[in-house]
Amino acid sequence: MFHRLSRAFLASAVSALALMTSGAMAQEIVFVLNTSEVGTPTYNPVVAANLNTATNLIYDRLVEMDMNRDFHPHLAESWEEAEDGMSWVFHLRQGVTFHNGEPFDAQTVADWLALFKGSDNEYMVQAIDKVEVVDDTTVKLVMKNPEPNLLYNLGSANMGVVEPKSYVALGEDYGVTDAIGTGPFRLESFAVGQETVLVRNDDYAWPTELTANQGPAKFERAVFREIPEDSTAFLELKTGGVDMLLNVPTDFLGEVEKEPDLGTVTLPGVDLYYMVMNVTKAPFDDIRVREAAAKAINQQEILDNIYNGVGLVADTFLISGLAESHVADQYRIRYDPMRANALLDEAGWVMGADGIRAKDGQPLKIDLWTQSDSGFRRLTEVVQAQLKAVGIDATITTFDSSTIRDEYKNGEHQAAVRSYFWDNADIIDWFFGGDRLGYPNISMFNDPKAEELRAKAMTGSRNREERVANFIAYHEYVLSQFPFGPIYQPMAIVGYNKTRVKVPENLKAPTFQHLAIMDMEAVE
Amino acid sequence: MNMAAALAPAATALRSPKGAIAGGWLLLVILGAILAPWLTPYGYDVQNLPGAFQPPNAQHWLGTDEFGRDLLTRLLYGARTSLSVSAVAIGISVTAGLILGAVAGYFGGRLDRAVTVVVDLTWSFPEILVALILVAIVGPGVTGTLAAIGVAYLAQFTRLARAQIMAIRAETYVEAARSLGASDAFILFRHLIPNTLSPVLVAAMLATGDAIILEATLGFFGLGAQPPIPSWGAMMSSGTAQLFRAPGIILFPGLCVAATVVAINLYGDALVRALDIRSRARTH
Amino acid sequence: MLAFTFRRLLALIPVFLAVSLIIFLILHLIPGDPVDNLIKIGASAGQRAEIEARYGLDRPLPVQYLVWLGNVLQGDLGTAIVGRRAVSAIVAQALPYSLMLGGCALLFSSILGIALGIVAALKRDRWPDQAIMGGVLIGSTMPGFWLGLMLILVFAVWLGWFPVSGARGWTSLVLPVLTVGLGGTALVARVTRIAMIEAGQRDFVLLLHAKGLPVWRIQLFHVLRHALIPVVTILALRIGWILGGSVTVEVVFARPGLGSTLIKALAQHDYPVVQACLLMLAVAVMLGTLLGDILQAVMDPRVRTALQ
Repeated sequence: MFHRLSRAFLASAVSALALMTSGAMAQEIVFVLNTSEVGTPTYNPVVAANLNTATNLIYDRLVEMDMNRDFHPHLAESWEEAEDGMSWVFHLRQGVTFHNGEPFDAQTVADWLALFKGSDNEYMVQAIDKVEVVDDTTVKLVMKNPEPNLLYNLGSANMGVVEPKSYVALGEDYGVTDAIGTGPFRLESFAVGQETVLVRNDDYAWPTELTANQGPAKFERAVFREIPEDSTAFLELKTGGVDMLLNVPTDFLGEVEKEPDLGTVTLPGVDLYYMVMNVTKAPFDDIRVREAAAKAINQQEILDNIYNGVGLVADTFLISGLAESHVADQYRIRYDPMRANALLDEAGWVMGADGIRAKDGQPLKIDLWTQSDSGFRRLTEVVQAQLKAVGIDATITTFDSSTIRDEYKNGEHQAAVRSYFWDNADIIDWFFGGDRLGYPNISMFNDPKAEELRAKAMTGSRNREERVANFIAYHEYVLSQFPFGPIYQPMAIVGYNKTRVKVPENLKAPTFQHLAIMDMEAVE
Repeated sequence: MNMAAALAPAATALRSPKGAIAGGWLLLVILGAILAPWLTPYGYDVQNLPGAFQPPNAQHWLGTDEFGRDLLTRLLYGARTSLSVSAVAIGISVTAGLILGAVAGYFGGRLDRAVTVVVDLTWSFPEILVALILVAIVGPGVTGTLAAIGVAYLAQFTRLARAQIMAIRAETYVEAARSLGASDAFILFRHLIPNTLSPVLVAAMLATGDAIILEATLGFFGLGAQPPIPSWGAMMSSGTAQLFRAPGIILFPGLCVAATVVAINLYGDALVRALDIRSRARTH
Repeated sequence: MLAFTFRRLLALIPVFLAVSLIIFLILHLIPGDPVDNLIKIGASAGQRAEIEARYGLDRPLPVQYLVWLGNVLQGDLGTAIVGRRAVSAIVAQALPYSLMLGGCALLFSSILGIALGIVAALKRDRWPDQAIMGGVLIGSTMPGFWLGLMLILVFAVWLGWFPVSGARGWTSLVLPVLTVGLGGTALVARVTRIAMIEAGQRDFVLLLHAKGLPVWRIQLFHVLRHALIPVVTILALRIGWILGGSVTVEVVFARPGLGSTLIKALAQHDYPVVQACLLMLAVAVMLGTLLGDILQAVMDPRVRTALQ
């Protein structure tokens, strides 16, 4: 009797608990994407140049990188690299299925890797010669050359594993009308530039060891809104219209901290702001003018006043967290107005009465391009004033963030203030490689010595240490040619409404993205 | 029409209290715009980053913006851009519309029909859309804004000029001139166009008010004057991001736009009364 | 009546053709090659040609126009270059939001404008008239985006009554409708006031007064009916204007809709989307004019008899 009673009690307690938790779980969380991710046109990781944060929730990757830049198993349970770096064997996790029910196995990996051929992102798999399916759960990558960066590539958003059959079947529409991965959420709807709705994948049983949550996500729906204006996004958070901003600009940090209901999570950023100069266009075809312009930028003043001292100044092309950013001191590009003025004098640009330099009657005027959102415009106006302080008259032209890339391809630009979001040294190759002139190589920098160092860094390294050394050499040479001037490294700040969501305390992830979201809960 | 005759209604319009207040404000804004460099000790583009977001104080009467620049100074210089761009654009629009409308109305026939169709098409289209398309073609900046506003209001003036010409082309003095052997061009430019001027000029003045709003809207989209040159629209555009922290950055330029446009309308109404052409001047 | 409607519809066909030609041509004057939006620099000539063929960009302009028009008439608005989706789907997604905003704003400005116009006409030249006309003048002179931002500041940020942006639920409609509607109110109020005053001076009104009908009945049932004819005409003619007003307001409130889609597509040089949005707005303008004509005919007994 007692037993039966207690069992009934227990059962009802359990169901009540289940009801309560399911009530909590039935909730949705509304995120606002970083403004730099607004307008991302597709969830097709194979072809996309830009992917937003929601992408990593639709797809899983073979490996996962943690905050110490170490790699952990995900769809691959373990792996071995050959001594000479010429082959890799990956052992895959069993029982993984895609959102459309297709199983994930070694053949899937082979078919998926083949999709990269001819795409913009082919460089990610360039080093792979062929893919051998050893058995259902084992796949061997035979390499053309050692690739110390392979795990990084496999862990990046572009290498989220897509379901190859539906990928082929959907063709152009893949990533827009539908996107099929093995991730903790499936795509319900996607309106470019507006919002993406994801629903929980209830079958999800293959999270990484980097999350505390080892089952399906703790909330049912994830809505990712795209709001192009930071101030609107902030006001939405403040007034309860949304639950979380994936990027809070530093100048809003104080405002967020003032609100008792709002909380923030601050992580080292993986983006870097810089001013790039077109080395093929006068006056920047003169290295002295480039160096002068780069050293006219007062990074500390910008950090202190525009970003309230949150973040770091940038003095190389890479974020400080990367070993490849540790170049010799003489290569670091720092504010030096004396040197800037001296270089411009030396180059024949004479200071005029109106504060603008001139040579042969021609004023030192440049076009300075930037993106049209307020954060970029504000920074660029400060850079404009700092350039004017050494006698360079810059005219600002703004473009939509999606058209500005096309404009770069025309090669008509002189200089631009921009930023990138990446945490690997191969970003130097991406932005300064001689075969990508226009965009991504906005500087139009194409130098034989740089190309030599670049090839060595990209394909001539046998292991991580060698790769770091080769990249430092390449990085130092690029810095010495001044195709750009570094400005600022932000912190990544996430803002959220404490009354709506619970955020994990100990993050093992390098960024506040899919891994953190897996451990998030909606508050009842 | 001689100068004195032209100025008489303008002075008459100032006699009503509304006209006087409106005229006074317009005069103030125009003088402020012209005399800006002598009225303020600050430069419109001189940044003082540590002094950003100051509330109104003795040094900065309206406070400072996100770069520590004096807001009042930028409002004065902004008036220069906003007023001159709007006025010049409407000037272009009026000139082109007057000629186009007069020629179409005078000669009639196929040309008239073609002009009417095109004009009706653009007229029914919202000005902001016409302007956006033009900025897309010409590119952002002052030139693009000029072209955009100029074309956006072209239809209105062509329509008005045409209607005016149609109304008076059959009058006796025109017939008399024609019978004396005057050329078409002579009749158009000597007799017809001067006689349509006053309603068109009043309409132009009212349109300048709308043009100021359009200029501000383009500026708000970041398509107008480019930084650091201030215009009221551009100031509000960068002020959006500071809306809740320093509402003044967006409040004051907006108030200036509203006050100036109200003043133009009130003064325009007074002018219409003074000229007694109310029924003819309003096109919509 | 039906024949009248039909004739009016037929008359719209050349106008539609002209509009579509302009819309088609204007966009080809825009500098920049749309093919560049599709491929990365250094792509092979073959890839380029393939994309040009797919979007018909390799054919002469007149052919492109005919192909485009033929497709448009069949409801095929092309494929968005950046969005990589059927443009009709994008428009279908945006249109309800714009119609909702435009419709509500039109309704709001009609009701408020007519009411204010009546009051102003009845109290002609006295203080309520002055106050109302002054008020609507100020309302119409504020840039839409600025009014929107101020409303956000007061009602969304300080008071917290309405959401700041987006289009989730009816509450998110209030501020945008107010913003667009207040701008349109001025015109409606002005026209109503003048029309009421003019209609009130007609002979039949004197007759009704002589008959001893109460003043409010005369004003509301007889004068207003006559006065509404120009009001309706103006409203119909300005449908495009209401939609245009929504463009900026949609951007300020980060609301989906034709306006925000158009602005984004313009910035992205996404030709098919720009064309579709402009065409939709043009069709709305044309249908508005048609509707105005028909309503005018229904309401105006003179036009009605002339038709029979």
